[in-house]
Amino acid sequence: MTTLGDKTLHNNNVGPIIRSGDMVEAVIETAEIDNPGKEIRVADKGAYVRIEANDELILTHKTLEEQLGRPFNMQELEINLASFAGQIMADEDQVRFYFEKSL
Amino acid sequence: MAIHPRKNWYELTRTTNWTPSYVTEEELFPEQMSGHMGIPLQNWEGYDEPYKTSYPEYVSIQREKDSGAYSVKAALERAKIYENSDPGWISILKAHYGAIALGEYAAVTGEGRMARFSKAPGNRNMATFGMMDELRHGQIQLFFPHEYCKKDRQFDWAWRAYHSNEWAAIAAKHFFDDIITGRDAISVAIMLTFSFETGFTNMQFLGLAADAADAGDYTFANLISSIQTDESRHAQQGGPALKILIENGKKKEAQQKVDIAIWRAWRLFAVLTGPIMDYYTPLEHRKQSFKEFMYEWIVGQFERALIDLGLEKPWYWETFLKDIDELHHSYHMGVWYWRSTAWWNPAAGVTPEEREWLEEKYPGWNSHWGECWDVITDNVINDRMELVSPETLPTVCNMSQIPLVGIPGDNWDVKVYSLEHNDRLYHFGSEVDRWVFEQEPEQYQNHLNFVDRFLAGHIQPMDLDGALHYMGFQSVEELGKDAHDFAWAEKCKPSNTKSA
Repeated sequence: MTTLGDKTLHNNNVGPIIRSGDMVEAVIETAEIDNPGKEIRVADKGAYVRIEANDELILTHKTLEEQLGRPFNMQELEINLASFAGQIMADEDQVRFYFEKSL
Repeated sequence: MAIHPRKNWYELTRTTNWTPSYVTEEELFPEQMSGHMGIPLQNWEGYDEPYKTSYPEYVSIQREKDSGAYSVKAALERAKIYENSDPGWISILKAHYGAIALGEYAAVTGEGRMARFSKAPGNRNMATFGMMDELRHGQIQLFFPHEYCKKDRQFDWAWRAYHSNEWAAIAAKHFFDDIITGRDAISVAIMLTFSFETGFTNMQFLGLAADAADAGDYTFANLISSIQTDESRHAQQGGPALKILIENGKKKEAQQKVDIAIWRAWRLFAVLTGPIMDYYTPLEHRKQSFKEFMYEWIVGQFERALIDLGLEKPWYWETFLKDIDELHHSYHMGVWYWRSTAWWNPAAGVTPEEREWLEEKYPGWNSHWGECWDVITDNVINDRMELVSPETLPTVCNMSQIPLVGIPGDNWDVKVYSLEHNDRLYHFGSEVDRWVFEQEPEQYQNHLNFVDRFLAGHIQPMDLDGALHYMGFQSVEELGKDAHDFAWAEKCKPSNTKSA
């Protein structure tokens, strides 16, 4: 039991958790494009989708808008950003999910 | 009209820590309400909220969120969820709305306290939005269940629970009063927004949404996941407050507040979310077990973030992990047995197929809780119904306000953790609950749990009817019953099971 708990705790997963709907695909694509060389992991839980990478994951406004194919205000991400793993730093140009200390 | 990007003006406009001249700083931000721990005003200016918004943005985004939630509700009205869902699912809706809706109103007070008394300008600004978020959550979670009131009086408890003395409502109020209404601004930032809203609300508002979507209740799935998008913004008030405390040598105090809040949230959610995920949700719609959701959201995500902010795992980590395997199974059996005292109808959830699932998710379930359910099932099958309802009161914890439970089976281990304080004897359900009391006895010492009130003569007549009346039940239809009217026991008859 303890082993599973500590093992589960010992992770470096960061990233957005998006409500199911039309933002999901655009965010996955954006994560792939904005984080070159990083493995982007996606877990579909039905009502929400976890999109994760190790230590840092960035979503830029520019890429997200391109992937959606329509004008998009970065704040609109909030409508579907149900939760996230890691810490967040959000402004109008990009949203960054990160850990200060990698385990 | 061109609008300047927020980042060009935000920091300037939130610089509102003026130097007071008519009153002292302490009069403006009294410690009792502010909780600044003696850290001066200027040190709080380093508070940098990582998830910012402005009023025009807030209004426009919230409007979008609300129109989404209400239009999904309107579009799916004909799905007739109430008529077409499994009774176990309907019980989940009742338990959720009653336990949560008015707690959201309490959170308005907490946000309001930060908006006025936090020494950090960024905290005050974000709390103003947080206050409006919580108003939305209170109102929308009263509006959605309201349409069911005419069909089923138990739905009236969405509004009534927090105005009553029903035991689960007392437990919820005791917890929320401890982390919200009965605390200073910085404690609210740490105990409500950080510990509770980046942690446990994910269990109830996203974990449960996964089950809801699978069960076809898209209205509810969409509503609660929409609420959590507000939470994920305003919950970010706690992190920067923790950073300021740690920078100013107050890590021990911060850690203590987090440890108290997590433990208390855990015990409440073990009785609320545990049974609904692992017993009430129809088997085919269980996306994950309660334990798997706990590991996903609390162990893997919340605790990991806590370490990143510079805090430690709680001192009771091992106890907590053990509890995740066990506690809610015992709580569930207790709630089902004392079901007439609930405003929802507990589903037993112990058909042979469900037991197989429980054994797979929690190896050893059959030799512990299963043995008790064997006896209960046998009594139901043989029509000894007088034996499947209680005649006595349980012992109730003076911290969680939830009955004391142990693990049944060969190693029956129920234990009471007692403490004598100012000539009064208190009883707790765990070492940690007692530890919480010992940290601040003055916060808790005058409260009477349900059994204390009974023994003090507050409940008259001193029998079950008197207790139900005291709890606020207005008619027999409101009392909790077995959700499936014992139909599940049919499936457990030896002739209907594949093997013994």
